[in-house]
Amino acid sequence: MSDFVEQCRQEWRRLGVPDPLAEEMAADLASDLADAEAEGVTAEELLGSSAFDPRSFAASWAGERGVIPEPPSRASARRIPLVLVGLTALAAITVIVAALLLATGEPKVSLVASRTTRAHLSSPPAVLVVPPPRVNRQVIRTSASAPVEWILLFLAIVALAFSVWLWSSWNRSRPPAAPAS
Amino acid sequence: MRRMAPRSQRQTELLRGVLDLCLLAVMDEGPAYGYEMTKRLRDRGLANVGEGSIYPLLGRLERDGMVETYRSASNGGPQRKYYRPSSAGRLALALGVSEWRAARDAVDAVLAPIKVEVVS
Repeated sequence: MSDFVEQCRQEWRRLGVPDPLAEEMAADLASDLADAEAEGVTAEELLGSSAFDPRSFAASWAGERGVIPEPPSRASARRIPLVLVGLTALAAITVIVAALLLATGEPKVSLVASRTTRAHLSSPPAVLVVPPPRVNRQVIRTSASAPVEWILLFLAIVALAFSVWLWSSWNRSRPPAAPAS
Repeated sequence: MRRMAPRSQRQTELLRGVLDLCLLAVMDEGPAYGYEMTKRLRDRGLANVGEGSIYPLLGRLERDGMVETYRSASNGGPQRKYYRPSSAGRLALALGVSEWRAARDAVDAVLAPIKVEVVS
C-alpha cells in the first residue's frame, strides 16, 4: 500500500501539484488505506479499479481538486513562436541583403561622413587624396573606412544566432503534446 | 446496437450521477474523513462506490466550495481531514435530492409495470 501512495506522490510531483497539497493528500490516503487494511478491507474494495492504476487515480484526484497548475494557453504558446518567426525572418533577410550589397561591388554607404581632405581631421586618414590632374580632385576610398554593409552583416548574423538560441530554448520549455485519445 | 451493461457496470453508472449527493448526505450526518464516509456508504448498501473511488469527488466538492474541511486527530490516530457540507453544499444537497426523487419517480412510472421473474 505504501508503494501505491508513493506512486501517487510521484505523479503529483510530475504534474506540478504543490508539495504541501501533495503531502496532505498522500497522508490522508495512507491513513485511509491503513484503516482499511486493519479492518480487512482491500485497496481494491476501497479504491475500485483505481487500485491498479495509481497514476490515473492520482491525476484524477488532483485534477478534480483543481490543484494541477494550468498549462500555458494555446494562444500564448503560439505568440512566442510568432515573435521568434519575425525575428528570425528579419535577421535572415538582413543577412541576405547585406551579403548581396557586399557582393555586388564597392560598398555604397560608408561611415566616412565627409569626403573632405582638410588637414584638421584627427582620426587616421580614412581617405587618400590624389591630386587631380587638372580641375577636380578625386577622393579614393581606402579599406580603413567601416562600410555599413559589413556592420549590418555582422549584426544580422548575431541576431540570427540569437534567434536560433531562442528557438532551441522555446522548444525545450514547450509542454509535451497531449497524448492522442 | 449497444450491448446491455453488466449489472455492476450499470450500478456504477447509476451511482455516478448521485454519488456527490450521497457523500454530502453522509457528511451531513456529522463531519467525516474519507474512509469514514466509505464506511457509512457501505453500511447503507453502497459497498462499491464505483470507478475512481470517492477521493476525486471529494476533491471536486472541495474545489466547488460545497464542503468545508478541517484537520483533526481521529481517536488518538493521525491527523485526518474532515469534511462537512458548506451552506452551498447543503443547498446543492436539497436541490439534488429533489431532482433525484423526481427522476426516480419518473423511471419507476416507466418500469413499474414490468414483472420481474427471478429464475434460480
